Amino acid sequence: MRKAENRWRIIIVMVILALAAAACSEGESVDVGDATTSTAAETTQAPSDDGTTAAPADTTAPPAEAAILIAAQGSEPDQLDPHMTSAYASFQVLENVYDTLVQPGSDLSMEPALAESWVISDDNLTWTFTLRDGVKFHNGRDLVAQDVVYSFERIIAEGLNGWRFGAVETITAPDDSTVVITLTQPSPNLLVSIAGFKGMAIIPEEIVTDGSIGTNPVGTGPFRFVSQSPDEGIVLEKNPDYWRASEGLPKLDGIRFVQIPEAGTKLTALRTGEVHWIDAVPPQDIESLAAEDGITVGRVPGGDYHYFSLNQNRAPFDDARVRQAIATAINRDEIAEAAQFGAATANQTAIPASNVAWYYDYAPYGSGDAAAAQALLEDAGVSNLTIDFLVTSDFPETVTQAQVIAAQLAAVGITVEITDVDFSTWLDLQGNGEFDAFMLSWIGNIDPDDFYYAQHHSTGGFNFQGYSNSEVDSLLDAARVETDQAARKALYDQAAKLIVDDASYIYLYNPDNINAWRDEVGGYATRGDNAIRFEEATLN
Amino acid sequence: MSGFLLRRILQMVLALLGVSIVVFALMHLVPGDPVRVALGTRFDQELYDALRERVGLDKPLIEQYFSWLGGALTGDLGVSFRNGQPVTTLIMERLPATITLAFAALAIALIVALPAGIISAVRSGSPLDYGVSAASQVGISMPDFWAGVMYILLFALTLSWLPSSGFTPFGDGVVEWARHLILPALTIGLISGSIITRFVRSAVLEALNQDYVLTARAKGLSEWQIVRRHVLPNSWIPIVTVVGLQLGFLLGGVVVVEVIFAWPGLGRLALVAVKDRDFTVLQGAVLYIAFMFLAINLVVDIIYARLDPRVRVS
Repeated sequence: MRKAENRWRIIIVMVILALAAAACSEGESVDVGDATTSTAAETTQAPSDDGTTAAPADTTAPPAEAAILIAAQGSEPDQLDPHMTSAYASFQVLENVYDTLVQPGSDLSMEPALAESWVISDDNLTWTFTLRDGVKFHNGRDLVAQDVVYSFERIIAEGLNGWRFGAVETITAPDDSTVVITLTQPSPNLLVSIAGFKGMAIIPEEIVTDGSIGTNPVGTGPFRFVSQSPDEGIVLEKNPDYWRASEGLPKLDGIRFVQIPEAGTKLTALRTGEVHWIDAVPPQDIESLAAEDGITVGRVPGGDYHYFSLNQNRAPFDDARVRQAIATAINRDEIAEAAQFGAATANQTAIPASNVAWYYDYAPYGSGDAAAAQALLEDAGVSNLTIDFLVTSDFPETVTQAQVIAAQLAAVGITVEITDVDFSTWLDLQGNGEFDAFMLSWIGNIDPDDFYYAQHHSTGGFNFQGYSNSEVDSLLDAARVETDQAARKALYDQAAKLIVDDASYIYLYNPDNINAWRDEVGGYATRGDNAIRFEEATLN
Repeated sequence: MSGFLLRRILQMVLALLGVSIVVFALMHLVPGDPVRVALGTRFDQELYDALRERVGLDKPLIEQYFSWLGGALTGDLGVSFRNGQPVTTLIMERLPATITLAFAALAIALIVALPAGIISAVRSGSPLDYGVSAASQVGISMPDFWAGVMYILLFALTLSWLPSSGFTPFGDGVVEWARHLILPALTIGLISGSIITRFVRSAVLEALNQDYVLTARAKGLSEWQIVRRHVLPNSWIPIVTVVGLQLGFLLGGVVVVEVIFAWPGLGRLALVAVKDRDFTVLQGAVLYIAFMFLAINLVVDIIYARLDPRVRVS
């Protein structure tokens, strides 16, 4: 009897211990600055049935007017060093923390940012930038020209984007508010190259010296970094010294980026009001989400493009006719419909129609034209072709697209064997040339040099398909240094025509950029370059 | 007892060493390279070589392993290739959410499984028994990704009772802590509970068929007294075994449920580490998970001896 009770006691104690351990494991609480805890922010914004905002349930909540926008990201930022990350999730956050010398405006033309003006010498080889007065880093220090020099030198020496300075000879700071960049050759797209996105952010040297840049970014942007933890996500607060503070910006008191990897959960969190804004809406959910009261879906034609490419170092893909046959046999509208539910525009070149300055309207290939494709294949003497098609389920649309392409190519007797690997492996196989075809997308390009040079110049860093056409090389080289806009456009049009005709890349479509937010959020718009900027956003 | 402990701890160290070698070798054998991932599609050989050198990946594998091992022995598991943060920090900051979810799920599992298993064994063959068996069959067969999504649709979206995702530390408010915990804990707890129910039922059933139960019945004891005094004490060992296994599994992080509920646990850390080939983080996470399994096994063995005097640990 006694023994039996002892055993019961052990079990009960075990359960109590388990519960106690669970209860005690709250970890360290995170200081989020102005006492705006996650809980408070969430309950503050919990909508009641009539759509109005409920009063804070928690008595320790901050004043109800603290406007903290909660933004849900689909993936996790890897690190917060703008010069070292290539993750879009990181840039979603850093977009609001850092500034660049100049920046793409809403129409993607380059506008003043930290530099309020710039002049170009007559020989087009010297660019002189004048910095804005009174810009402060979040640590209180004034921005000086030497910071620009330091940032660019760091990118060149060790950042991922040093290649963008290919034409730059020297970067100097003759005084605190002047930056002079000299070039080895005219570079009409210099502004896009050195300030097209936040990977070119201007940083203070001290956060590199003390090693905190990856975890505690200090910029000049509208929001200051407060904290990052797996529990709370990334917390930013208003920068009261922002250089657009005189315009009343930023309007929000803060932003909290939370990471919700599962798309369905992310949509639910937006619907229930747990979050105010979400990135990338799955295309199949656009319609139902847009139909919902209280939610706005922002959708604009994007600058990204999806493509696939055939390995020209392997027979028979070294024969342009084989590549052209494949480009003719596929139906791009069907591919875009299957992968993006129509939230995309089929395109046989890279640059989207929304990029008014550089769009080149050219579509030589038929759509799903099996007869024409057969003729090209017969001409090349190729039959019973099998393609080892490299895709990655980390970008699930590549898998869907490959399946559609497989079905379309089956009609001309081509067998597609899909190799679906994770992205790490994909990069390895692509880098080692172990593929017949690979498929991916390029994101966020603005200038045609970014669309074509590295991918199709025979010495290009991303020319994994082994394309080499001396005419294309000289056109791309000439366009790089051509300062007359119209002449430059003409050069790129010629290069694009050859690239498309040779089917170096087989271009598929430009997807739309899609975000969604609750109606409490104002002053936000989805952008063509997919930059996530909350500086003018409001929260009611 | 102390000799037993010493031996077991030595065994644990050897097992962990073995695990670390296997994980290290496997990670370097599979295709994929953290530096390539860091560079993204913008590949550049010079930059690639420089980055590899910076994180020490250019050294021979053996040298890499021993330099890692040297650090690990002093409690330094290295830094993440992905973001340069110490691996121990990354694991430690994931522990609160992981442990909270594991114990909450186990509590739900036990609250469901103990009564259900005992009752269905005692009333074996009755409609109640069939009902419990059917329910636990459903629980075991129900995939966690499906159950989790259903709970979110029902309790978060339709009824608006509970939040769909995220984790609030206990210190930030008990109510919010519990509200965020319920759905993920329920998702795993019911599945885990269904498994444990079956073990409880069969353990109790086996004890019920023993001669001493017949004797007890002959003495005229009530059925409840028989269960409490003679059956349960003899059923604990298999139950504790399966509970220990479940706990070890839960403490390693539950990837699918963590992803669905945006729960900041170890499972997600490990998942991202696998995706990005963040070798050091993955190595640290696997080592931690292996340690948890071994430690719980040890605790289970010690509990055996406390529960059943016939078992000796020495």
